[in-house]
Amino acid sequence: MDAIAEKDQDMQKTRTIDPVVTEIVRNGLIAVTEEMKINLMRTAYNMIIYEALDFTVGLFDAEGNTVSIGLGLPMFIRGMSETVKAKIAHFKGDIEPGDILLTNDAYITGSHLNHMTFTVPVFHDGELVGFSCCMAHWPDVGGTLSGSTTDIYSEGLQMPIVKIYRKGQINDELVSIIKTNVRLADRAMGDFRAQIAAVKTGEKRFLDMMRKYGRDDVLGAIDAIMDQSERLARERVLAMPDGIYEAESFMDDDGVSVGARVPIRVKVEIKGDRMKVDLSEVSKQVNGFYNSGITAGLSCCQVAFKCLTSPLDMPINEGQFRALDIVLPAGRVVSAVKPAAMRMWMTYPMTVVDTIFKAVGPAMPDQVAAGHHADLVVGRVNGRKAADNAFYIYLGGLIGGGWGAKHNSDGMSATIAMNDGDTHNGPSEQVEAKYPLLVERYTLRPDSGGAGRFRGGLGTEQVVQAINQINFSSQMDRVKCKPWGLFDGHSGEGNSVAISRGGAEKETHFPNGKALNQVLKPGDAYILRSGGGGGYGSPLERDLDMLARDVRCGYVTREQAESKFGAVFAPDGTIDASATAANRSDMRAKNLPVDEPIAPMPIFPERMAFEPQPVRNEMPEKLTDEERMVFAMNCRCCS
Amino acid sequence: MDMKTDQGRLRLSADVGGTFTDVAAFDEKTGRLKLGKTLTTPQRLVDGIENGVGKAEAAFSAAQLFLHGTTVAINTILERTGAPCALLTTQGFRDIYEIGRVNRPEAYNLFFKKHVPLIGRDMRFDIRERMDASGRVLIPLDEAQVLEIATEAVKKGVKAIAILFLHSYRNPVHEQRAKEIVEKAFPDLFVTASHELSQEYREYERTSTTAANAYVGPRVRRYLAEMDTHLGDTGFTGTFLVVQSTGGLFDIEEAQNSCIRMLESGPAAGVIGSKTLCASIGLKNAIAFDMGGTTAKAGVIYEGEVLMTGGALVGGYSSGLPLQIPMIDIQEVGTGGGSIAHIEAGALRVGPESAGAQPGPACYGQGGAEPTVTDCNLVLGRLASDRFLGGEMKLDLAAARAAIEAKVAKPLGLEAVEAADGVLRVAATKMSHMVRWVTTERGLDAADFALIAYGGAGPLHATMIARELRIAKVIIPFAPGHFSAYGMLFADLRRDLVNTWFKPFADASFEEMEALYSAMEKRGAEDLRRSRDMMVEVVNQRGADMRYVGQEHAVSVDIPMELFKMQDRDGIKKHFDAVHETRYGYFNADEKAEIVSLRSATIGLMRKPEREAMARGGVSPDAAFRGKRPVYFSGVGICETSTYDRAMLQAGNRIDGPALIEEHASTTVVWPQDKVEVDAFGNLHIDIGRA
Repeated sequence: MDAIAEKDQDMQKTRTIDPVVTEIVRNGLIAVTEEMKINLMRTAYNMIIYEALDFTVGLFDAEGNTVSIGLGLPMFIRGMSETVKAKIAHFKGDIEPGDILLTNDAYITGSHLNHMTFTVPVFHDGELVGFSCCMAHWPDVGGTLSGSTTDIYSEGLQMPIVKIYRKGQINDELVSIIKTNVRLADRAMGDFRAQIAAVKTGEKRFLDMMRKYGRDDVLGAIDAIMDQSERLARERVLAMPDGIYEAESFMDDDGVSVGARVPIRVKVEIKGDRMKVDLSEVSKQVNGFYNSGITAGLSCCQVAFKCLTSPLDMPINEGQFRALDIVLPAGRVVSAVKPAAMRMWMTYPMTVVDTIFKAVGPAMPDQVAAGHHADLVVGRVNGRKAADNAFYIYLGGLIGGGWGAKHNSDGMSATIAMNDGDTHNGPSEQVEAKYPLLVERYTLRPDSGGAGRFRGGLGTEQVVQAINQINFSSQMDRVKCKPWGLFDGHSGEGNSVAISRGGAEKETHFPNGKALNQVLKPGDAYILRSGGGGGYGSPLERDLDMLARDVRCGYVTREQAESKFGAVFAPDGTIDASATAANRSDMRAKNLPVDEPIAPMPIFPERMAFEPQPVRNEMPEKLTDEERMVFAMNCRCCS
Repeated sequence: MDMKTDQGRLRLSADVGGTFTDVAAFDEKTGRLKLGKTLTTPQRLVDGIENGVGKAEAAFSAAQLFLHGTTVAINTILERTGAPCALLTTQGFRDIYEIGRVNRPEAYNLFFKKHVPLIGRDMRFDIRERMDASGRVLIPLDEAQVLEIATEAVKKGVKAIAILFLHSYRNPVHEQRAKEIVEKAFPDLFVTASHELSQEYREYERTSTTAANAYVGPRVRRYLAEMDTHLGDTGFTGTFLVVQSTGGLFDIEEAQNSCIRMLESGPAAGVIGSKTLCASIGLKNAIAFDMGGTTAKAGVIYEGEVLMTGGALVGGYSSGLPLQIPMIDIQEVGTGGGSIAHIEAGALRVGPESAGAQPGPACYGQGGAEPTVTDCNLVLGRLASDRFLGGEMKLDLAAARAAIEAKVAKPLGLEAVEAADGVLRVAATKMSHMVRWVTTERGLDAADFALIAYGGAGPLHATMIARELRIAKVIIPFAPGHFSAYGMLFADLRRDLVNTWFKPFADASFEEMEALYSAMEKRGAEDLRRSRDMMVEVVNQRGADMRYVGQEHAVSVDIPMELFKMQDRDGIKKHFDAVHETRYGYFNADEKAEIVSLRSATIGLMRKPEREAMARGGVSPDAAFRGKRPVYFSGVGICETSTYDRAMLQAGNRIDGPALIEEHASTTVVWPQDKVEVDAFGNLHIDIGRA
């Protein structure tokens, strides 16, 4: 049959497709990926999979197009489909029932080497009808434990596209290579098994559906679902005003060239029912470890597009993005090529997404949010437990931060950044039971939300004491380049990391947010602070009842209520409405308050990560473990 | 009639829902069951109960036992009408209730809203104290500060105080002491401490549980006290018990302190009723399926036992508040009789929006213009316009048809009947995913279960859902519209306790475990003691949450007493391996296991009512025959379908589909090729025909 005849027949099928079966299949697809997700979560060995939900599962058609992906990492919205397509291209038809395909190639997944990606081909009556796929983050894939890398080779084991199972038979040599190259191999193999179970669940359920409703009806319904999603997205784009919209933002630095800002420039063109996002002017790939592959750059555009057009339309599928065109040459920081270092792949794309919202904001002020903290705010810890000297790795942080305000509401406080979706933090009681760590404090940061008619959400602060010696690294960005406000809203506080050495009076700060290879002695603590969201509208327009509540609850201090929101307090502590109105018009006339969206980078006034560490303050000698913990905690709590 | 002689032979139950109050009255001497359904009276709920008792031709003065299920606790949370509260918590953790787990389930929604705490930040206070994970005191409790802050909070008008200190599951002394201080200073305050409700780790979930208890506490306490007084006024001298979310009962003294444990009492009672039904007909595995106006719910009976869970989110996954207490594992989907069908970008969608009671489905004639699941049942002939609620409510067929045509059929280019059938098929598959979920999440296959369907809409849809899941047998219990009230009659007293205890299983000392279990069992027995007159026997069940070393998520495993007594470590490990394999599809005999928590359930078995058997008739159901009407079945078309009056059916009657079996509060749809048999207690057993 020639291509045109085939196409005609396809059209025929689409036209006669039963809307009822389509809706049944749509609900079925959502259920399948949901079941894959639950199976993986419940069987995984690692907190980062189980609690942080750092994974993505999905079903794909025979060409590798996304049919349904479950909630997982939003910024991996593109990565899996591209990985399936790469596997199809690699094997050129040599794919058989019982095969399971694996890779963690960073330039294919677009992310870091931790993302082991398993794919099972789905055969129906001998015909390849689709793929079931699962990416999950392994806590360790080898490579240096040091926080800094400048190429991919130092980041761990690279597994090219392989058949880890061939016709149902596991390839023991390949497994042995994996086990030899990763730390904590037993736990890695636990996750390996969980991922295999997840992809097989997807395969089984997809086939169940085909058996029940028939191959043609299911495949026809999938086409119809994609068409529906496409129509929905097009309708939304059509309602947006045509035009070309541009915006720029900056990352603090790439972790290697300290203090050298990295520009993120985006251009969005809306014309009729199509949107084009041009990332050509995003920075070239960097020397440090903040690069990501082209699929991550494509994900940025798709995530922003989905947020603007069909945030709640499920399942996530290829049709949603047919009205989106993307321009992204190779070699940009979000389309990096080998051997770029990729370990912190997820950080920059979040700011790219926010910058797209910033660009289109003037055209659709009711659909966007101000900037968010845009960093996962992670602390990496490794050490040995006192009891049995066992080596452990703990991924701390993921403490959530502030989100941007919108035209009708304040931003969310303490909510995970854009890269992650259903990611959970770890309960402090669990962390303390499992690791020799003490969580001294986990609180909201007052005044961290950007001032505005609607206020940005608050960031959080977590103080964690080392009970035994640990090694600690944290690579944060958007410390100086703060989450921006929109329409006269102010920027929120940036992210930051600090260390408190024993009873030292002052914290050691890391002005660019990169605290690499820090040794923490017993009693020392690391401090993670996530940024707040940007405000929306002038703070001088904030409703006084809302402001009074902010002050009563301590979200905003009285000082900031006065300086940024123009409040005047009566002697009894309430806000004096008429005095406030007068003060506000006064401030307006003087162009106050003033926003500072980018904090100046200090020229080494503070102690930098690579300088000699400060001398530890004297911890009284001969303390028991218990006394030391309390002593150190009290020093910090009361200083 | 002399009330005195009657005293002590009547068992009464009342399930108070948002719309209806259901009452069941069971005469233990005659085995006769009477039912009453009446509108709920939100202003004074006792009035509705009184009406229901009257409808069931019973009187409180003649009852020895009153069992009560109520939505008062959950409505207080969902409607946010609870008491002003304060939270006292470990220094540095004031915000944990607001921070929560930081997740964004609506990952692409910039307008996503996370949970809103029941206690505002201005009423959450840090207290100087600290334990470590092993329960050692690092910083002693600052008792003066507790009193000072409680005093300040009371001045600001709080009516309840919740206390959450870190690691109280290991060592509760600080929480106990703080509670003592507050209670002594303010005896009228409702004070609740986290360890009384949950002795499991996870500070946010425990905070949320404790805060919810404080929030609903004053109102529930008042409600139960009023009910108790009212019962006294009616001459009731029996025992008043409340149904918990575990399906077990507790006395009102317990209920007035651990209010949050009654949150899902109605749905839980339905599952308990299903379990009892299973036992009476020799069924081991069944899914309890309850469908009403806005939602459908499912629970599981596996190997004769109800499957439980350790917690739930009140108000949905995205923005709900977590509760960390044992309860029956009940899944829910927003599909009910009132679910609205609509077209979105050319696609057919059913629910989750519901027409509710006002305006209700188009056919109610109250101004509703949106087509609902109920309208579709009417258009297909499955409901009759003159027989709804025993004919008490007329349904408007023309309005139903018009709504379906305008909103679904025309846009899709279908006939009204085809569209109505499509809506019901979509609704059935949505519900079948939810039903499948409760089994697959446990590694079980729904096809191996029978489906017990109740609630007003359950019997209308059960046979379709069974077809979706390849379930062979559907049972429609006697009085499906009153099933929760009926189920309560069979509940037992129950106290569930959980204690987090991290331990490698290989090192776990049986002596230590015995001591922990004994302590929990002792506490459980004490809680049941006040109701000891009602109990026949006390039974203890032991379990543990276990996982392979390194895994994050634990599975709950029952610990068979005989293995435990013999200290058969390998036997228990093998048992865990087997449960793990069922649930997750694999196990590893060489891998070490660890314990996360120990679980104990103390059950005070109560005497079970024995129903009188109904009159036995022949095979023919002719006495119940009410005529025929055309009904549409997908894949078959319109069939002339016999209708039967369920009240007139007799044990042993058999009906071949297609048929409709009508009763006051529900209609059972029997498909062509299905076969029905009526059992001795009036339950309908439907064998699903294989197409």
